[in-house]
Amino acid sequence: MGLVRRDQQPAAEKAAPSAASLVEQLDDPDPDVRREAALGLDGSAEAVPALIPRVAGETDPAVRDAMLTTLAAHDTDEVAEALAVHLASDEASLRTSAAEALATMPGSVPAIIPRLVQDPDHDVRVMTAMVLADLPHPGALTWLADMIRADPHPNVVTAAIDALLPSITPEHTELLRDAVHRFPDDPFLRFTVEAAVG
Amino acid sequence: MTSSTKTAGAALTVSDFEKFRDYFYKRTGIQFTESKRYFVDKRIETCIRQAGYSGFASWFAALRLNDRSGLLQELINQLTVNETYFLREDYQFESLIRTVLPDVLAARGGVGRLNGPVKILSLPCSTGEEPYSIALRLLEEWDQIDHVDVEIHGADIDSDVLARAELASYNERSVHRVPPAWRKKYFTPVGVRYQLDEGIRDAVTLHQINVCDTVAMRGFRDFDVIFCRNVLIYFDELSSRRAAENLYGALRPGGYLFLGHSESMSRISPIFTPARLPEGIVYQRPIGGSR
Amino acid sequence: MTEKRPKVLVVDDAATVRLYHTTLLTGAGFEVSEAANGLEAVEAALNTAFDLFVIDVNMPKMNGYTCVETLRSATVGTPAPIVMISTEDSRGDADRAYAAGANLYLVKPVDKDRLARVARMLTAGVAA
Repeated sequence: MGLVRRDQQPAAEKAAPSAASLVEQLDDPDPDVRREAALGLDGSAEAVPALIPRVAGETDPAVRDAMLTTLAAHDTDEVAEALAVHLASDEASLRTSAAEALATMPGSVPAIIPRLVQDPDHDVRVMTAMVLADLPHPGALTWLADMIRADPHPNVVTAAIDALLPSITPEHTELLRDAVHRFPDDPFLRFTVEAAVG
Repeated sequence: MTSSTKTAGAALTVSDFEKFRDYFYKRTGIQFTESKRYFVDKRIETCIRQAGYSGFASWFAALRLNDRSGLLQELINQLTVNETYFLREDYQFESLIRTVLPDVLAARGGVGRLNGPVKILSLPCSTGEEPYSIALRLLEEWDQIDHVDVEIHGADIDSDVLARAELASYNERSVHRVPPAWRKKYFTPVGVRYQLDEGIRDAVTLHQINVCDTVAMRGFRDFDVIFCRNVLIYFDELSSRRAAENLYGALRPGGYLFLGHSESMSRISPIFTPARLPEGIVYQRPIGGSR
Repeated sequence: MTEKRPKVLVVDDAATVRLYHTTLLTGAGFEVSEAANGLEAVEAALNTAFDLFVIDVNMPKMNGYTCVETLRSATVGTPAPIVMISTEDSRGDADRAYAAGANLYLVKPVDKDRLARVARMLTAGVAA
């Protein structure tokens, strides 16, 4: 009894399971097994095609988060394209999780932004503003300003203002005031702009 | 708007400070109140000057856009007190002894019925002060220590600090909070330094590990308690998420995770359940699988 | 003024919405704190006994329903009234909010007078 020492490596160097066996475990009935498998596939490019179609169908949020953590680390066009599809999902948690993942992919996401900001579905454009809010990329603020200037839907403009808020400078004042003039019937937008530019 | 023509030497404007505070909170989970204003201003000015920017605006833009790696790390180094010493933030060790370990024993069937030792992980353990502090407090203050087996593990990514942890020779600054009686009992003065006794040193197992490395972290399993203090703040969003996932995997269901006193899991990952202890917030791996 | 101001926690991932609700509720005499997702709200509620919660439905990390369930569960166990605010004007969502433990379900945009009125009504016992 008391303090005891455990000298053997705690199974640390136990052979890592192969990517193939982890992919198989993605369909295990136990969510914990699926979660560990998704995490274990970190860095395995061959697992991407197996992970992508399982994101939408995964019912356990923790497993889905693990899949997205692994997928986002790839930051490739293939992953960005696949996750962007979920910005249009009817399921709110999938939309926000996909947006969070895309916001961590500055390598591949900028290429699809021009298309996303033109998406006919204004909800997709709202989610795009959320991606841009956190995307560490020099173009993010410009895209957001463009959305505020030109997007026809007040919800999108509000979302873009929201995303720009931490970075607002006096140079944005005119842009924001113009947005208010474009949507005179939106009291929330007016309030937000007044509060933001003082 | 007040003057936006401030030079790097001058104080930040109120709106600069607020923007910065929001950004830093979002990025690290660390919150500064207005009372810390002076401290934060000074540290930011140091960062701006050292990185060679003309003022807050250009520096903050570069920071936010990740234009230059190292800016955030330097900022965090400036804004967090990064020293380690014996019994640092030891109100969490109070929680460990008073609340967490009794709960762990109860959840695992009670003293005498445990299937395996109680396992505690200190990660990052740096030069060893944290895991050795845990060992000292358990030996001196936990009334169950003679009735259960406890394994204490320390892990760090940095082999240099691990070598110093293994050596366990400390300066006055490191041991300044150790009560004289404990110093006498567990340390031997060697010149101006204090050598931790072999008995304690041997009770802690050290490992080199990167907490973001899922494959390596698979070796860490069934821990009852993990201390992971003041490290997740250094990671970018994806890395901190992965680290959180790996720590989750290293815990037993129902196991406890302590973060640093100013850290929060709320901007990183929802997989843990926060719980309030008399001494502060701790995170638990839920018992019924994930969420 | 020495009377006690009721404490309200405004929970929304949109900074503009937090700003809007905070301004309204501060003006209505509340002491307002903010949280940007459900988890932050849970942590805030573990540290402070709020008199009222105003919670968005769709948020990252932890959505509004899970947040309300957690606030009502043993983890927090707050008895304070909870208003959920959603963009979805659907019966199913309202039912889900009430099942989670909300006291009132409102649809965005919430009229500013209405929010202040509802907040005062729900905290009538607290305000001096």
